[in-house]
Amino acid sequence: MSEASITLPKEVKYTSQGQPWHKLPSLSLIAGVVLTVVGFIFQPGKQILFSYLQAFMFFLSIGLGALFLVIVHHIFDANWSVPTRRICENVAATFLPTLFPLWLPIAIFSGQIYDWMSGDTEFAVALEAKEAWMNTTWWWIRGFIYFAFWSWLSLYLRNLSLNQDKDGSSRHTHVARRWCTRLILFYAISLTLAAIDWTKSLQIGWFSTMYGVYYFAGSVWVTLATLYMFSLLMKKEGPLSTLLGTKHFKAMGTLFFAFTVFYAYIAFSQYFIIWNANLPEETFWYAVRDVGSWRGLGMLMIFGHFFVPFLVLLRIDAKLNTTLMVLVGLWAWLMHLLDLNFIIMPVLHPEGFSPSLLDISTWLMLFGLLTTLFMKSFRAHPAFPIKDPRLGESLSTH
Amino acid sequence: MDTNSQQLHGLLAQFDTPADLMHAAEKIRDHGFSRWDVFSPFPIHGMDDAMGLKNSKVGWFTFVGGSTGFTVGLLMIWFMNAYDYPLIVGGKPFFSPIFSFPVAYELTILLGALGTLIGMAFLNRLPRLHNPLLKNQSFKRATDDKFFLVIEASDAKFDLEETRKLLESTHPVSIEEVQE
Repeated sequence: MSEASITLPKEVKYTSQGQPWHKLPSLSLIAGVVLTVVGFIFQPGKQILFSYLQAFMFFLSIGLGALFLVIVHHIFDANWSVPTRRICENVAATFLPTLFPLWLPIAIFSGQIYDWMSGDTEFAVALEAKEAWMNTTWWWIRGFIYFAFWSWLSLYLRNLSLNQDKDGSSRHTHVARRWCTRLILFYAISLTLAAIDWTKSLQIGWFSTMYGVYYFAGSVWVTLATLYMFSLLMKKEGPLSTLLGTKHFKAMGTLFFAFTVFYAYIAFSQYFIIWNANLPEETFWYAVRDVGSWRGLGMLMIFGHFFVPFLVLLRIDAKLNTTLMVLVGLWAWLMHLLDLNFIIMPVLHPEGFSPSLLDISTWLMLFGLLTTLFMKSFRAHPAFPIKDPRLGESLSTH
Repeated sequence: MDTNSQQLHGLLAQFDTPADLMHAAEKIRDHGFSRWDVFSPFPIHGMDDAMGLKNSKVGWFTFVGGSTGFTVGLLMIWFMNAYDYPLIVGGKPFFSPIFSFPVAYELTILLGALGTLIGMAFLNRLPRLHNPLLKNQSFKRATDDKFFLVIEASDAKFDLEETRKLLESTHPVSIEEVQE
């Protein structure tokens, strides 16, 4: 398709004002803060730390998922993802640098969250063997390294894209591709290590080589759901309305479906290998999650995180049914949050699934803060890469 | 009926460009024909819509194949390990969906793929050794540089004169009658 046939919208920025949902981020932030205070009064103690960790890991999922989508866009040189790339760039470049200071409360109170730090753990033997890596100083330094890397990469990739908006040079695309092909390895390593540091080390004695990719699969899954829903919103009222078509939603829906299966594949493999080997130092992690209502939540993960979305998304026309996709997208948010709950909370509540007001309030707080920052950044720049070399190709219907 | 004269297969219209073919297809679609097809040397984007083709039904064959594979896989492991010859392996139960899952999963893929293949062949009425169009000399250029549209005589709406007029209105290069 030739350059000449592209008709760009006159206004390339998102300028819509006064939509009912625009109030959502600030309302959510206020409600989150108020409810967190109320929740803490009624439930003092460690609950707030664990709830906060859960909400933090949830939004880290979306930040890292968005960064991943930008990276794979550059590596595969795809054309369908051009109009939605700016959304991902902005999510990554606002979420990840903001989550850096938001990680500090976890780091400061880490001694109360991670029992291995205080040495008061039932896995003293395992900890001794792992001490060269799992010691508090190195844990702190690693956290800084992850965030420095993620923040730099997400901001750098967005800057390349914004510079291309100005001069239209294809050089930026090539530079981005060169960085992404090399750095995706470090992305994978940092994500894996971060997941191990911040959630897996809650039970330091456990082993699982699937853990990082398990978090990754759930993260990209929930990010694709989010991207699909936000793209729908932008098609309704933003400059993307003339850009996004069946092709783009089909691609996003298909990828969302693929990650539904990928998550299940990883989750099952992890369980299957441990179940088959039947070694006590591995099975205890699942044994803890087989107690009381945790068993029910585990079943919900099998059916709600996998089977239901799988069967619903199986048909190609389902991926284009907007009402259905919004429902599945919101369901994916709930499932990912409960998945994190299943990973994190049995440490605090071995007796069974114990939802808390703080689970919701910390989530609302981070949601409000991060989406406010995201919308600010999204409004400040063109809503899509206006001079991307593949934009014309992307706008053709097929 | 004269037994010597051959039976009519359909009307074949030839076009020079994909755009002409596409416009013709839109017109034929709007007239509600069902037994007709287009032929081109390469895939034409947007032709499915121009022909009014719905999503393929092959998916249903895949789904039935996959579901059968999954069920058969689970039943097979249950039958072998827990019913016909109960065997304790590694202290595991006689039957569990956990260890039968890889087998069920493989059979889901195998029968799903076979279902797709068989469904595709069935819906395309394959295998078929011959198509009357292949006797037509000009039709050979469908694999080279010409674009064709054929309406079969077996279509309920087919009427030699009326259909010919309709095809003429789409400005083809030529219209030929193809015999069985």
